[in-house]
This record gives sequence, structure tokens and C-alpha cells, in this order.
Amino acid sequence: MAFGRVKGEWMTPKRRFLSALFGGRVDRVPVGNPTSIATLELMELTGCSFPEAHLEPYSIADLAASGYEELGFDTIMPYFSVQIEAPALGCKMNWGDKNQMPDCVTHPFEGPEDITIPMDKYLQTTSIQAILEAIRILRKRYPDVAILGKCMGPWTLAYHGFGVQNFLLMTKIEPEKVHKILKALMPYTIAFAREQVKAGADAISLPDHATGDLVSPKMYREYLPHLHKEISYKIGAPSILHICGNTLNRIEEISSSNWDCFHYDTKTDVEKAKEIINNRMSLIGGINDPWTLLGGTPEDVKKEARRAVQAGVEILAPECAIPTATPNANLKAIVDAAREISGLA
Amino acid sequence: MSLAKIAQTVLDGNAPETQQLVKSLLAEKHSAGAILNDGLLKGMEEVGRLFKAGEYYVPEVLASARAMQWGVTELKPFLKEGDSISKGTFVIGTVRGDIHDIGKNLVCMMFEGAGFNVIDLGINVTKENFLAAVKEHKPQILGLCALLTTTMPEMKGVIDTLVESGLRDSVKVMVGGAPVTQQFAEKIGADGYADNASEGVEKAKALLNLAG
Repeated sequence: MAFGRVKGEWMTPKRRFLSALFGGRVDRVPVGNPTSIATLELMELTGCSFPEAHLEPYSIADLAASGYEELGFDTIMPYFSVQIEAPALGCKMNWGDKNQMPDCVTHPFEGPEDITIPMDKYLQTTSIQAILEAIRILRKRYPDVAILGKCMGPWTLAYHGFGVQNFLLMTKIEPEKVHKILKALMPYTIAFAREQVKAGADAISLPDHATGDLVSPKMYREYLPHLHKEISYKIGAPSILHICGNTLNRIEEISSSNWDCFHYDTKTDVEKAKEIINNRMSLIGGINDPWTLLGGTPEDVKKEARRAVQAGVEILAPECAIPTATPNANLKAIVDAAREISGLA
Repeated sequence: MSLAKIAQTVLDGNAPETQQLVKSLLAEKHSAGAILNDGLLKGMEEVGRLFKAGEYYVPEVLASARAMQWGVTELKPFLKEGDSISKGTFVIGTVRGDIHDIGKNLVCMMFEGAGFNVIDLGINVTKENFLAAVKEHKPQILGLCALLTTTMPEMKGVIDTLVESGLRDSVKVMVGGAPVTQQFAEKIGADGYADNASEGVEKAKALLNLAG
């Protein structure tokens, strides 16, 4: 079932999204979601709720697809949390509920020598297989919509494996160890991404939370750009890096790591970012989550959308995974805004 | 001069060096109180300033707090009554339904570094447990943390619980966390809000009319 098309739209959602990702021609500004847009309303509509919709392939697929079917986004992205890899690393999990995202409650690693999970065992983990199966289901059902895969970068995997506080302390007092840890985790990021590409994903969203709220640009530079270059190359498919928080002071490093696109947080000065990026990658994002999408009106959403497009943002999106209480009307407003800005319907 | 060296090793986040220096100063019969206040806490004061200025980030603060803690562990047996001039008792916790703690832990470290007696209730703390802690520890400041927009309303619940039991005026309530704003703090009747741990310390001192 294709989402209703308005007069003037001559591209499929997939074509529109992929073209914009590479800075190309579009019939209108696309709207995508590299992070979750699952809402309580969508869970109600589809009958697919958290926590089942994290782990049961058809629930995952139906809930993810409602982003396109009900809201009109150009993408379908089935990985809602940031924790799918955590059980594969050996973490015990709390899968949460419809108001609370999952979290890992144990952190099994002490050092790089503990990161020895056989790759086929890692990829056979139930949660990982669930995402791959959901992508296969979605690929068959939606040939014309951009299916986004998603996997965590090595920094985020280290948070799961070691605990955030423990790992961040190590980055300061045991840098050699941290280099080894990230190098050991990188293959797991690449392998999961490749499986998603093989399952039919059009592009990969890759959150790696070395955020401006947590680590300095100097530390970012020390540990990540060379790994990110290798990751973006080996993934092979179109790729979108996601980092929360204000990332202006590391945007140069991000731009030179060969990502096709960057999913930015509204805390970042997007005009300044655009200048530094200088066309090396596109930008996706523009709409604030807690105040605009959750607490604001469709008019507030449209204002932010216009500002983002004016600043040169290629694809509109919420800045990060939305709180599930976000009203569908505000998410639909992003799509309405995209059409209005492009002079359609 | 040796005390300045200790402040420096704390600033550098060097826990083994800090521990060593404290040991040798104690062996030379230096005052434990002076080592604490003019060495360790002096170092943490500078850490707080650098954190607020955006020059130190979380890893640096964690390393410095660890160095301070190693130093304090050496000092404990030697500290006398009145050596640590406590600025007051600070009870803190992340509200019910919320399990995020790194921001809270940073706040604990900064308040400890500023000379407060810190009682960390942990994460996912119910209103009832906050109330019990206020009754037991009689803190000057109660800190409430939330990282999720969905758990922020719990903060109002805690304040209402304090009002109902007649304890609201006995303590200053401060709130913080990524989605929390000054506006929200005022709306729910909190006494203070800060958007980072160092500013939290400054605001707490101001609320208690403490100098410097």
C-alpha cells in the first residue's frame, strides 16, 4: 500500500531520500528517521508495542512501517533503541516498556582481552537476527521506500560492554587500553551493518555517542576519525553518522571521515556546521525533540523545518529518538512542512 | 608548596601520585585538615572551574574525582572533628523510572569536591524514599535528577510529597538533567536549577548564603 502522493511528487520515497543523501536532485525535501519515531499512538494503531516490538520481527516491521504508512516519512527504520547489540556482547537486559527504552543492566568486559565473541555467535543473537528478519520483511513489502539499517559504533558498544562511567574514565587514564578496545569492537559494528545491507537495507544509520556533552574534541580526534574512515568504507552502503549533543567542535573530523550524511542535534549551530562541512557530506535533522516535537504544536514544527531547510539541511528529521508520548500530529507536520517548503500541495 | 603539588595531581587526574603525596605529607606530620582543604579540595575547585568553562569534560572530571577519592581514603583515619568544614549535607537521587546516573555522579563529585557531605540515593528513587532520606539526613539541599522527559513529572511528585508532610521548608530543592529547564524548575516549585554540575555547586552555595 503506497502512501498517498501529492501533485508534483514524481519520485518514490527511496529515490528522493537517496538522491538527497548525496546532495542530488529531488522533487521535494525528503523526511527521514535515522532514529526512532515510534509513538504510543503508532503502537496503538498497529497493535505492536514495546517491548515485543524490539524483538519480534513482524512486530518490529509493522511498527517501523507505520512511520511511512501513517506519518508519511520517506524512510522505514526498524531498530528503535540503542541496545540491540548489548545482549550479543553478553550484557543482561531490561527491555523496558512502551514508555521506557531498553537498557543493559550488566557490563561484562574488563579489558580488550574480554572481547573475543566468535562473530557467527554474535550475529546469531536473537535481538540481532530479529532486526535482520525485520529488514527482509520490510524490503519485500516496501520496494519503493528507503529501508534504513542501524547499528552502534565501537564507542557506543564500549559503553554497553564496560559501562559508560567506567569507559569514560579509561579514556583519560588508560588510553592504550581504549585504543585496543575500540579496535577490537570495530569488526562487530561492520559485520552487523554488512548483514543489514545484505538483508536489503538501502542505507545505514550509525550512532556512536562520543558526544559534545561527554568528551572533548581532542579526545574525539584521538580515538575515532581513523576508525570511522575504515567503518564507512567497509560498510560500503550509503551511511549516516549520528552523534547527539553539540558537535560543532568536532564537525571537521566528522566531515573528513567519509560519511555520506550526518544526523545532527539542534544544539549544534547548523549554519556554522554547513560552512565547515563544505559539501563533503549532507545533513539530516532539524527538529527539536523535547520542546518542539513533544511539547510544541505543528506550527512550531513547521517553523523549525523551514529554518533547517533555509540553512541547507538536505533531509528533515527529528534530531534524535523521540519520546514515545510525542503526538503523531507533530511528526506529520514535518512531512507537511517539507511539501509546503517545496511548493507542493 | 607540597599542598599545591597535591592540588596539581588532582587536577591532572593522577590518583597514584596523589595517594603517594598524601602519604608522605602525613608521614611528615602535616595537618590532615590542611591536606584536605588546601590540597585535595583546592584541586577539585579548579576542576569545577575548568568543567564549567568547557575545558574539562567528563573523563577529566572522573579522573580528578578518583584522584581526590584516593587521597581522601588515605586521610580518613587522620581527620579530626572540625577538619572538614562541611558546607552542609546534600542528598541526591535520580527519580523513579529513570536509571541514568552519570550526570548525577558528576554532581556528587563536584559537591564532594566543594566540601559538602553527599548522600547519593542512587537511581530510580521513589518519592517515599526521597522523603525518608530527608527525614533521616536532614539535608540542606535535596537534588533531583531526571534525564528523560517522561520522568521529569516525578520531580513535582517529590516536591508535593515534601509539602504534604510539612517538610518542604526544611530543605532547598534543586533539579537538573538534560531535558530540565529553569522554566520547568520554577513551574514545579523548585528552589533552584542548574544545567551543569559546577553551576549546581555555585547555585547551592548561593541558596545557602555561603561565601565563595
